[in-house]
Formats: sequence, structure tokens, C-alpha cells
Amino acid sequence: MLDKHADYIAAYGSKKDDYEYTLSEYLRMSGIYWGLTVMDLMGQLTRMNQQEISDFIKSCQHDCGGVSASIGHDPHVLYTLSAVQILSLYDNVNVLDVDKVVEYVRGLQQEDGSFAGDKWGEIDTRFSFCAVATLALLGRLDAINMDKAVEFVLSCMNFDGGFGCRPGSESHAGQIYCCTGFLSIAGQLHQVNADLLGWWLCERQLPSGGLNGRPEKLPDVCYSWWVLASLKIIGRIHWIDKSKLRSFILACQDEETGGFADRPGDMVDPFHTLFGVAGLSLLGEGQIKDVNPVLCMPEDVLERLGLHPDLLS
Amino acid sequence: MAETENEVEVLVQRVVKDINNAFKRNPNIDEIGLIPCPEVRYNRSPIVLVENKLGVESWCVKYLLPYVHNKLLLYRQRKQWLDREALVDITCTLLLLNPDFTTAWNVRKELLQCGALSPERDLYLGKLALTKFPKSPETWIHRRWILQQVLRECSSPGPDRKEQGDGDRHDAAEKTRLSEHLHRVLHEEMKVCADAAGRYPSNYNAWSHRIWVLQNMAPGNLKVLHDELSSMRQWVSMHVSDHSGFHYRQFLLKALVRELSQSLSSSSSPQHYHPQPSSNPSHSPHKANPHHQANGEATAAAPCPSPPSPEDLASVPALPQLFHQEVELCTDLIKSFPGHETLWCHRRHVFYLWHHWRRDHHYGQGFGSESPQPNHTDAGLSSHPHTACPGGVGLDRVQRRNGQAQEGQDAMEVDGVGVPDPRDTKRLKRGPPGPCPPALPSEHSFVASVLDSCRSPEQGRFALAYRKWLDSVIGQ
Repeated sequence: MLDKHADYIAAYGSKKDDYEYTLSEYLRMSGIYWGLTVMDLMGQLTRMNQQEISDFIKSCQHDCGGVSASIGHDPHVLYTLSAVQILSLYDNVNVLDVDKVVEYVRGLQQEDGSFAGDKWGEIDTRFSFCAVATLALLGRLDAINMDKAVEFVLSCMNFDGGFGCRPGSESHAGQIYCCTGFLSIAGQLHQVNADLLGWWLCERQLPSGGLNGRPEKLPDVCYSWWVLASLKIIGRIHWIDKSKLRSFILACQDEETGGFADRPGDMVDPFHTLFGVAGLSLLGEGQIKDVNPVLCMPEDVLERLGLHPDLLS
Repeated sequence: MAETENEVEVLVQRVVKDINNAFKRNPNIDEIGLIPCPEVRYNRSPIVLVENKLGVESWCVKYLLPYVHNKLLLYRQRKQWLDREALVDITCTLLLLNPDFTTAWNVRKELLQCGALSPERDLYLGKLALTKFPKSPETWIHRRWILQQVLRECSSPGPDRKEQGDGDRHDAAEKTRLSEHLHRVLHEEMKVCADAAGRYPSNYNAWSHRIWVLQNMAPGNLKVLHDELSSMRQWVSMHVSDHSGFHYRQFLLKALVRELSQSLSSSSSPQHYHPQPSSNPSHSPHKANPHHQANGEATAAAPCPSPPSPEDLASVPALPQLFHQEVELCTDLIKSFPGHETLWCHRRHVFYLWHHWRRDHHYGQGFGSESPQPNHTDAGLSSHPHTACPGGVGLDRVQRRNGQAQEGQDAMEVDGVGVPDPRDTKRLKRGPPGPCPPALPSEHSFVASVLDSCRSPEQGRFALAYRKWLDSVIGQ
């Protein structure tokens, strides 16, 4: 089925006048990252147009150093990370003015260690992750106050071992992924209560084998990534029923069109396609390249960069 | 039927104008929606206004959206000029169709900064967008930015407001006016959140926004916290799967614990109660510092919080009673709606809070100096030797604030408990005797009674998981 998925991704967005495509332009850079990463994991990155994408990224860097989701849109740390991830796949980060990217990220850090998403000031642990992941890929983690950054993320840890978007917020699998990923990059995974968090995470598995993001929510293939990767980071991936999860993920494929949907029978999209394939990789699927659980990029790319974020055992 | 560029332009301009006129005609529009209507009709406006509902016929959207979308981007790239009014209209149309278009909200932020828009207008636009897109992250994010502007205006009135002569009286009147304004804004936010929570189950973004509003607009406000707790009772009882709704109650309880504990300690030493950014407990329980804008400008998070008034303190029940009520609510719901994981999760949270409060206060003699840091240190449960009250904690013989001992029935016991599981008795015997009657065993009894009487396999599963949690996390 992998070829079918690759065909789906390669053809996605070729009809750029599509109304749906316009609707999602506000996250285009992340969309490109999802598409390219899943192609690389399937060994088919060469089918994508590197030059066109590099030119596009270049025209998305603003004077402030930050990168926007698409041409003419405003810069944001989310798309700055996606851009750096894409260029890392191509080993070509110098398409961007790297120093300016670093300055932009540094400027987003607040006094309490948190990170804003952009100049308008929204605080969220997702942005802490984006900031350190960006800098880690550029080899510039020294640019920020790491101690303070860690302090803020830890202040978002809840009694159940999970993390929310801000201090006092509900634990959420997506935020947990960002925070454990952050702590991995920061070398502070020992601050996580791995047993407690691992328990919360494995309680996400439902009788169908799929994973949800919070109690009593429906299973979703993307949570198969957020939850699974978090478990891998904290060394508790064996607490999940792997074969049942694998069955669920495979059931989310669309055998006619290729691609994965959030749950069986729904419409496919590149987002869920990446996380379905990445989830399978974490589960040890032979035909897919190894994926790094912290950065959601092929391990061989990180190997080339000399990046080995910590994992608990 | 192919449309020429000019036809599309004419159509779109008309639609944008029609939308704008609809708002002018009816400032009470409270909901937007898409009307399924695939047939193109050029001679009729696709904008439909019925009572307070604004509808857009679906056929026009595929022309409308890309056109206004690209127009805004051309402006943003300085390739085409748009005056303020055009920007207001275009972004309004765009955001009603696609409220996650971040850049469009940012354009409105700039319009607000130069005075072409009022905060109220964008709060209204956001509220409308949420009727159709109740999760929209960018809408909630923009809302928080607006509210921060409002807070800033309210906490530092401009110098031109101060007049000569009646300086003090004017200041006091102004303070009251601003405080009442904030109060209204806060309550409006609660309504918007409740609405959005009703439109999408377990709406994380709506509920985390609600928490943000309390943390930033009413930090440590006992009355607001307690009112919210009371008013949410009915809502959660009708949404027993809504994990976010129950988490909100956990947040409120935690905040109340913090406030009431602090006032317990400060009542004996009022001079020590003054707001400090990093350790002020009357700020939100978790937010240590006021937020700063990315450009380094300090933002006052909220009007300076003051210690709770004696009236506030008297109107809020003592913590043991609050916990009792919460556990009772939880028990009722667990029994009435078997097999809901959310309810069992809620029980864990509440018991955990109670357990730690009792432990800290038992040792601290009621002083708030050991008030629990609801931060990551709590999560390190396996490293807590749990020596405080080894047999567990109980509610009996709790000292009330005014010194009266409250005996008798406690929150954690369940009436009509069946024959206790012999394993429970063993657990009881293992713990060393403590000065307070244990609640852990009564929780175990509760689990046993549920297992005895339940017919739902899920209920059994969750009950067992709760027991396992009691053992491993609260532990002996």
C-alpha cells in the first residue's frame, strides 16, 4: 500500500485552485513538511520538487527572521520550525538566513521562560517545543535561556503526570508530545514521572486498538503519533498493545485513494497520512524508515546532523 | 459555466457589501451558518438574514473565499492598497468563512492598534465565528490578545483622564467604572466559552480559554471562583463525558484551595499579604509571572489582586465542605451514569487534591506556608514517602476556620456499602495507625460497592483502574 500513499501525496495540491487548498493555505509550510516527511519515510522524497519548495521557503522568510506558512502570510514559530525541518531533509538550511531565524526564535522567549508563537504574544508549550526543535536542528540551542525554558514547561506538568498548553491547563496528548519532546532536547527527561505519565498515555488505548488524546475522546490516527512517540521518548512504548494499534492504523488507510484518515472510513489528508505512517514506523514496520520520535523526521536525517535527542529506557 | 474574472469581482464586491449591510441592519446577529444551495444564482444575493441568523448560500463561497483571500494577501505584500474600511469588510468576510486564517486576525490587530476598530467589534466577530467553528484555535488566540488590550486599558487609564480638582473622587469613580466594565467582559467571556463548549464535546480550546480568562481577569477572586463552581454543577451533570468540563472544576477547586489556604495563614498576619509576581498565591495558582509582550513590554496581567474580603470568605464554604460536595456530586454521577471514564478521572483529581490538602494542613496547623505547589513537584508522587497521614486522610474532626470541630459524616464514605472486600481489610491493617480516620479505605469500599453492583463491564474496568490508582499513586 505504500506506493498508493506515495502517489496520493505526490498528487496532493497539484490542483492549486481548489477551494479546500485555499482554506488550508494558512498552514501550508506545515502541510509541505507533512508531505515531504512521509515521502522520505517511504523512500520517495525524490518525487517532490526540491527547487520549487526551496524557492517557496526562501520567499517566506520575513525581515524579522521568522518564516510564514505561505507567501504574504505573517511569520510564526510553527512555520519557522516546519521550514527548518523541510530544509533539513534536503540538507539545505542555508536557503534561509539562519542567524536571523535564531534571532527570531530568541526574541520570542519571555521572562518566565515561556515562548510566544509570534510577535503578538500567545503563550503555549507547543511553541516551547517549536523553539528548541528549530534551534536543535540549527545547532544553536545556546541562543535561549534553557533553564528558564525548562522551568516554564515543568510548571505545566499536572498531577496526572501529563502536560497542558499553559500552567493549569488540562493534560492533552498533543501537548504531552511537545513537552516530552522539549525535555528530551533540553536533556531534562529525568524530570518526567515516566511511570505516571506512561500510565496516563497507555490509558489512551481503546478496545478498537486506536488511541485517543484525552479520556472519552474518539480514537484518531494522529494520536497514534502523539501518544506513541511520547511513550517511546519516556521508554514505555511496550505498555501499549502494539498489534491492536497496528490494526487500527492500517484500518485508517483508504485503499482506493491512498492516504490515511483520522479514523476508518473518513476522508484522508496528508496530516493523518504522515502520522499513520510514522506510527507504523515506531511500531517497527519493516518497509518504512525509522522515524525519530522527538522530531518526527527520518532517523537518517538526524544522524547526518549528529542529533541524538535523549530517550528514557 | 465559466465565470470571467470581472464577473467574479462584481459578485464578490456585492457579497462583501451585503454582509457588511446585514450587520448594519441587524447589530444583534448571533449566529452564522452556511446554507446548502449548490445552484448558482447571480441575480440574487447569497446573503440571507433571518431573525438574528446570518446565512451564506454555499454556491458563492468557492468564488468568494479565494477572491477575498488573495486580495488580502496582495495588500499584505504591499502589491495592492486597501483602505481601512475595505480591510475591515474583507477580513470580516474572510474570518466568517475561515477563522483559522491567522494573518487576517493580525490585520485586525493592527487596525485596532490604530483606532480603526474597537475591541468590542472583534470580540463580537470572534463570538460569531465560534458559533460555526467552536474549536477555532486562532479565534480563541485572537480573543486573548484583545482581552489583554482591554485589561491594559483598564489597569492604566490615560493621563488625560485625570482632571484637576476632584482628583480623588474622579479616580474612585473611574476605578469603579473600569472594574464594572471588566466584570461585564469577564461574564461575557464565560458565556462565549459555555456556548462553544455546548457546540463541541470536550472542547479543549474553549475550556482552556475559560481558565485563561479567570487566571488573567479575576486572579484569586474567591467569589468568581465559587460562583463558577456552583454554576457549572448542572452543566457537567448533563455532560458526563466532557473531560474538559470536569477539568475546569478541578481547576476551580485547586484555585479555591490556594485562596482559602492562603487566607487561613494571612488572617493571623495580614501585613504579609501583598502581591508579588513570583510568589503571590492570589495570582492564578499556576501563573507565576505577569506575561510580557514579545517586544519586552510588561503587561499587567490583571488589576492588582487584593486579599479576599471577609464577606467573600464568609460566603464561600470551608474547604472540607467544598470537597464533600464535589465527591458527592461525583459519586451520584458515577452511580447514575455507569461506565464514564471522565467521572472516574474526576474522582482521582478530587481525591488527590483533598489528600494533599489534608496532609499539608495536618502538618502545617492550618498555615498556608506549605500550601501545595500545584506544579511538577506534585507529579513526583513516587518520590513522596507519604509519611504525613499514613493510613490515608479523612474528613472527620476537621477544624473549621472558626474553630468548631465538624464531626460525623464525611465526604468519602458511601451509604449502603456492601461487604468490604477482604483485600481492603488487609490494606487497612497494613497501615500504621494515624491520628485521623482514613479515607483511603472508604474509597476502597466505594470501589468494592461499585464492583458488587455494577452491570456495565466498562464501569467495572474503571472501578478497578481507580483502585489500582489508589494503590500505586496515593499508596501506603
